[in-house]
Amino acid sequence: MNLLRGKLMPPLLAIVFSALLCSVALVISGSNPGTALSAMVSQVGHGTTAVDIVNSASVYYLAGLAVAIGFKMNLFNIGVEGQFRVAAVTAAVVGGALRLPPVLDAIVILLVAVLTGALYAAIPAVLKVTRGVNEVISTIMLNAIAMGIVAYMIRPDVFGVLHGNNISTAEIPTAGQVPGISFGSGGTVFGLVILAAAIGVGYWVMMNRSRFGFELRASGESPTAATAGGVNAKKMVLTAMLLSGGIAGLVAMPELLGRDHSYGIISPAGYGFTGIAVALLGRNHPGGVAFGALLWAFLDKSALALDNVGVPKEIVTIMQGTIVLSVVVAYEIVRRVELAAEQRRVGRELGNTGGTPPQPAVASAGGES
Amino acid sequence: MSTVATERAAPQESERAPAVVLTGITKRFPGVVANRDVALTVRQGEVHALCGENGAGKSTLMKILYGMQQPDEGTIEVEGQEIRFRSPTDAIKAGIGMVHQHFMLADNLTVLENVVLGAEKLHGIGGKARRTLVELGRTTGMRVDPDALVERLGVADRQRVEILKVLYRGARIIILDEPTAVLVPQEVDELFDTVRGMRDQGFTFLFISHKLDEVRTIADSVTVIRRGTTVGTADPKAISSRQLAEMMVGSELPSPETRESTVTDRPVLSVEELTLLAEDGSGRPVLDAVDLVVRSGEVLGIAGVEGNGQTELVEAIMGMRASSAGRIVLTSADGTRTDLTKLGTLARREAGIGYVPEDRTRHGLLLSEPLWLNRVLGYQTRPPVSKGQWLDIEGARADTKRIVEEFDVRTPSIDVPAAALSGGNQQKLVVGRELSGDPVLLIASHPTRGVDVGAQALIWDQIRNARASGLAVLLISADLDELIGLSDTIKVMLRGRLVSDADPATVTPEELGSAMTGAGDDPDTAPPAEPAEPKPSTVDSAGQAAETTAPARAEDEAEGGDQA
Amino acid sequence: MRRRMRGVAVVAVALTSALSLAACAKDSGNSSNNNNASGNPSSGCKLADKPAAAPAGSTSADAGGKVDGSALKIGLAYDIGGRGDGSFNDAAAAGLDKAISDMGVKKDNTKELTASANESPADKETRLRQLATGGYNPVITVGFAYADALKKVAAEFPGTKFAIVDATVDGAANVTPLTFTEEQGSFLVGVAAAYKSKGCHIGFVGGVDVPLIQKFQAGFAQGAKAAAPDIKIESKYISPAGDFSGFQDPNKGNVVTKGELDAGADVVYQAAGKSGEGVFAAAKAANKLAIGVDSDQYNQPTVAANKDVIITSMVKRVDVAVYDFIRAFAKNDLTTVPKVFDLKADGVGYATSGGKIDDIKDVLEAYKAQIVAGKITVSATPTK
Repeated sequence: MNLLRGKLMPPLLAIVFSALLCSVALVISGSNPGTALSAMVSQVGHGTTAVDIVNSASVYYLAGLAVAIGFKMNLFNIGVEGQFRVAAVTAAVVGGALRLPPVLDAIVILLVAVLTGALYAAIPAVLKVTRGVNEVISTIMLNAIAMGIVAYMIRPDVFGVLHGNNISTAEIPTAGQVPGISFGSGGTVFGLVILAAAIGVGYWVMMNRSRFGFELRASGESPTAATAGGVNAKKMVLTAMLLSGGIAGLVAMPELLGRDHSYGIISPAGYGFTGIAVALLGRNHPGGVAFGALLWAFLDKSALALDNVGVPKEIVTIMQGTIVLSVVVAYEIVRRVELAAEQRRVGRELGNTGGTPPQPAVASAGGES
Repeated sequence: MSTVATERAAPQESERAPAVVLTGITKRFPGVVANRDVALTVRQGEVHALCGENGAGKSTLMKILYGMQQPDEGTIEVEGQEIRFRSPTDAIKAGIGMVHQHFMLADNLTVLENVVLGAEKLHGIGGKARRTLVELGRTTGMRVDPDALVERLGVADRQRVEILKVLYRGARIIILDEPTAVLVPQEVDELFDTVRGMRDQGFTFLFISHKLDEVRTIADSVTVIRRGTTVGTADPKAISSRQLAEMMVGSELPSPETRESTVTDRPVLSVEELTLLAEDGSGRPVLDAVDLVVRSGEVLGIAGVEGNGQTELVEAIMGMRASSAGRIVLTSADGTRTDLTKLGTLARREAGIGYVPEDRTRHGLLLSEPLWLNRVLGYQTRPPVSKGQWLDIEGARADTKRIVEEFDVRTPSIDVPAAALSGGNQQKLVVGRELSGDPVLLIASHPTRGVDVGAQALIWDQIRNARASGLAVLLISADLDELIGLSDTIKVMLRGRLVSDADPATVTPEELGSAMTGAGDDPDTAPPAEPAEPKPSTVDSAGQAAETTAPARAEDEAEGGDQA
Repeated sequence: MRRRMRGVAVVAVALTSALSLAACAKDSGNSSNNNNASGNPSSGCKLADKPAAAPAGSTSADAGGKVDGSALKIGLAYDIGGRGDGSFNDAAAAGLDKAISDMGVKKDNTKELTASANESPADKETRLRQLATGGYNPVITVGFAYADALKKVAAEFPGTKFAIVDATVDGAANVTPLTFTEEQGSFLVGVAAAYKSKGCHIGFVGGVDVPLIQKFQAGFAQGAKAAAPDIKIESKYISPAGDFSGFQDPNKGNVVTKGELDAGADVVYQAAGKSGEGVFAAAKAANKLAIGVDSDQYNQPTVAANKDVIITSMVKRVDVAVYDFIRAFAKNDLTTVPKVFDLKADGVGYATSGGKIDDIKDVLEAYKAQIVAGKITVSATPTK
C-alpha cells in the first residue's frame, strides 16, 4: 500500500491529469478526445507499433539511465545529448572501417561507443573537479561542439559517404551488426534491447548493493555528510560523470547496430534531452526509468496514430510536457506527505509503547565547583 | 514539591485579564496526538517560558497560538476574549506576534523596508513609517539604523529587526521561538535586557527554550510541556534547573560527572603545529600552530567561544579540510603509528577515528535514507556493513538493530528514514555508529547539542564507558558543565590557538568563561591586541550555567513533574 | 587512421586547388577588357558578355486534354513542418491542391501526414505503411529523409505507386523520383545578383550545410562568376549538417545575414527555409537586396513586410512535380514524368514578380537558353 501510494500514485495521477488537460485542449481546438484516445490505445496492436515502442524505449532507457546516474548525486549531465552523438558517429566510423569477425566486431564497436562517450563526458568532469566549472554550463556548450564534431566527421571529404542528397558514415558490415528478434510483420526488436535491460539491472545492483553506489547516493543526498563519511567528492564527480558518459555512448547503438548501420545527417537527435525527461519521470529508479521510457515512446508513436486520424499530433508534445511537470510536482508533494506520515507513525508507535525510561543516573554528587 | 504547581497556574493577584489563556487545547494529526488537553495561562506583562524536550509539542502549540494551525478542541482567550484564529493575520490583529527561530528577512532590503514589507497599510512606506520605526526603537532600546541593508547586519541585529517587525504590526504579546540558539552569550544578555525593558513597559513574552539556565534567568513563570501536554507551571526563581529538567523528562537527571581517572600515558592522537589558513585567501590563520595530545582513556575537552577555530580543528583532524602545515599522528591499540597528515577522510576513519559532528543533520546523517543505511556512512569499507566493494546489507541491518537497542534509539523499526526520528534519537544513532568498530579515538563535537536530557544522559554514559575501556576522546562543547563534567583535561581555544589549560577538577565555569574570552589572568593566555569579538560578558552566562549544577539533589523530587 | 590521413590529404588538396582557382579567376577578371556590353549602369561589376540570346525551345508540357482524377486516393507524407511551412512542403501541398481543383480529385480521398522533429526512421516507415494500408495510391513523400524508409516500405507494397521529392530510391520500380536541378535555377539568380550588386559583392545564406543546399550555393556562385568573373561572394550556413535548426530559425538567419552584409555583400540569396524570413529582415534593415527561394517569395504572405527587398526568387516547382506525377498516374503513364525537373522542364526557374529584374530579363533568358542547350554545365557541388 505504501509502495502504491509513494511510487505509483504520482505518475498515475500525473498521467490522468495531463490526459484531462489535453482533452480540454482537444475539445477547444475542435477535436474529439475520444477519437484521440482510441487511436492512441489501438495503435499498439497495429503493424510494427508495439515493436517500435519497445525499440524507441530501449534508446530512451539508456539515455534515461545515463542522466539518472548524474542525478543521483545532483550532477546535471545535460551533455548526454552531445556524448551520445559523438559516440555514435565515432562508433559508426570505426564500425564502417572495421573488418573483424562477427560478434567481436560488434563488441569492439560497442566498446568504442562507451569509451568515446566517457571521454567526452570526462571534459566537463575534469573541468568541474579542477576548476569548479558548473557542469550544466560546460555540458550545454559541449553539446553545441558535439554537433560540429558530428557534422565534420560525416563530411564526404572526411569520413562521410554521399548518397543522393544524404550523407552518412560508411555502412557497418554484417559482422558488426546486431541481429534483432523478428516478429514477422510485427517488426523486429533490436537485439540491443537486451543490453539496455541488462544495464538497467546492473544500475540497480550498483546503486543498491555496491559501495560505489552508496557513496554516489550519499554524495547526492548530502554532500556534507558524505564528506564527513569519508566519500571523496572529486572522485565521485569524476566516476559518476564517466559512467554517465559511458552509458550515454551506448544510446545510439541499438539503432545503429540494429537498423540504420550508418550515422548521418538525418539520424535522429534529441535523445539526450528525452533522457532527462525520462529520468525525471522515473525518479532515477531503474524500474521507474523503464516505465518512463516506455511511456515516452508510446506517446511519441501516438503522434503518428493521431496524425493518421486527423487529430493535431502536437497534443502529444503538450501531454509529454504536462506529464513531466506534474510528475515532478506530484512526487514532491507525496515525498513531503510521506515524511510527515512517517514522523507521525514514529511518534505514534513510540507513544503507544511509552518509550523506555531514560538511563538511570550514574552520579548524584553535586557540582564540583 | 510545593514549588511545582500542577495544571493551571493559580490565578494569583492578576488585576487584569490574563494576556493569553489556552484551555483544553487538543490537536490531532492523523494517527498521532500532538497536543492533548493543554492548559496555559500567560499573565499580562510577564515573560512566560515554555519548556519541553524536542518533540514534546511546543512548536505545534505555538503554531496554534499564532493561527498557523487550528486546534481540534479547546479554546484560546486573548485578554479575556475568546478568539478563533484562522490564520496568522487573525493572530496579528489580536496583538500576537511571533519571532521565528529562522529569520524571515529579505537580505537585499533595508531594515525599514523589511519592517514595512507586507504592512504598508499601517503607516505607509514613507516618513510616517520611518518615524514609527524610530520611535519603536527608542522606546524599546533596540536601536537599528533604518537604512542599513539587512545583509550587512549581524545575527543579533537581525533578530532585533524581527522583533521590531512584530512590534510594528502592533503586537503586545510576542512569541520568541528559541531566540538564543543563534546568539553568542553577550548577545543573549543584550536580548534579555531588551526583553526585561519591554516587559516593564507592559509587553508580554512567550519564550520557548530548552536551555534551562536561560529560562531561569529571564522568565517570571515557566510552563513545562511533556509528550504533548502541559505538566505544570512553576516559578523559575524557586526551583532549580535540575528540578525543571526533571519535570521535562519525568524522572531524575544524571550529571556529566566522571571523576575516577582512566587516563593512561599512551598517546593516541598527537597533533603537532597544525596550521590552517582561512579559505578567504587572506592568509589569516584560523588554526595557528596547534599542539595537542590525547591519550588512551582520556577525554580532552576544548573550551572556546564558537568561531575560534574549534570546527576547523576537528575538520582538519578528520581530513575534511587540508591543513597548511603540521602533523597529525594516530597510534592504534597495538602501538602502530599512522601519520594521518596526507590521508583522506576515509583512511583516517579506517585508522580508527569515530566522529560525532557538530551538526548531525548536515554532517552525520542521510536524512531520507533508512536508519540501517545510515549505519553504513563512514564505514562503507569495513565489516560488518561492507564486504570490500559490496555492501553487507544483512550485516548493516543487524548492527543497526544492536545500536538501536544498546543506545536506546526510539524508533519503530530500522527502516524508517532518519528524518523521522527526533533530534535526540538521531544523535544516539550517530554516537552509536561512531562508537562501533572499536575506534581508538572519538572526536565528539557538541555531542549533546539540541538533544533532550534523556538522550544527553545516555550519550554521556556511553562516552564514559568507552573511555573506561581505553578510548581517547577529543570533546568540543559549548556546554561548560558538559565540558567540566566529562573531561580529564581542558584546553581553551582562542582565535585559532590553544591558549591555556584548565583542570576540570578545580576550574569553575566562571574561570573557564573568562579564559575563553581572553580576559583571563593567566599570563600564558595574553591575547593579541586586536579588537576581540567575544566580550567579557560571557562570564556572566557561564556563571549562570554554574548555578544549574550546584544544588542538584534530585532524588526526592523525582515525582515532582510526573503528572501526566 | 589511414582514412583520417586520407581525409586530411583531401582537404589539403581541395584547399590548394581552391586557392589556385581563385587566383585564376582574378587573373581572368583583370585581363578581360572592360566589356560592359549589357550597359547595365546599376551593377558595380565588370560584367562578362552576355551570351547570345538563342531562342529556347519552348517547353509546352501542358499539352494533353483533361484528365479525370476523381477516383484517386492520394496520400502525402510531408517532412518536418508540413503544410503551411512556407517552403517545399507547402509547394507540394500546392501541387495536390491543383490536382484537386483541376483533376477532380476529391479532398476526402486525400490524406496528408507530417513528420515530427527528431523522429526515428521507424516512424517514417510507419507513416508510409499507414498510407499504403489505408488504400492510398499514389503516395507522395516529400523530402530526401524518406529515402531509406521508402526503400523498405515500397518493397512491402508493390501494388502501390510512390513518389519521392528530392531523392532517388535505387532498385524500387514503384518509386518515381522527383528531383530538381536547383543549381541551374540558382545559376540564373546568381547572374541576377551580379547584375544588381552595386559593390560587386554578394552573399549566400544556407540553412543547413548539407549536399542539397550546397547545390543552391554552387549554382549561385557559378552563375555570379559567369556574369562577373571578379565578383566577391560570401557563403555561410546557419547550422552544420545534422542540426536541422538552421531551417527553422529566423533569428539566426538574421544574424548570419547581417554578418555577410557587414562584410560588404549587398545582394543576398537565401536557401534557408523558415530562417529566410530573418534573411529578408536583415536585408531590409540594411537597405540591401535579397533573393528568395523555392517559391515566388515576393508574393508570399509570411514575408510580405519585407517583400520590397526581394528582387527575384529561385523557384523550385515542387508543386509542378507533384501535380505532374498525379496527372501522369491518373493517365496511367508515369513515363511522362520528367526524369529530372530542370530548367528545360520548367522544374526550376526564376520569378519576376515585383518587376525588379525586368531590365535584365533578356540576360537571364540568354543564360537560360545556354544551359538548356547544354552549352553551360552547372556544377552541383560548390568549388572550394
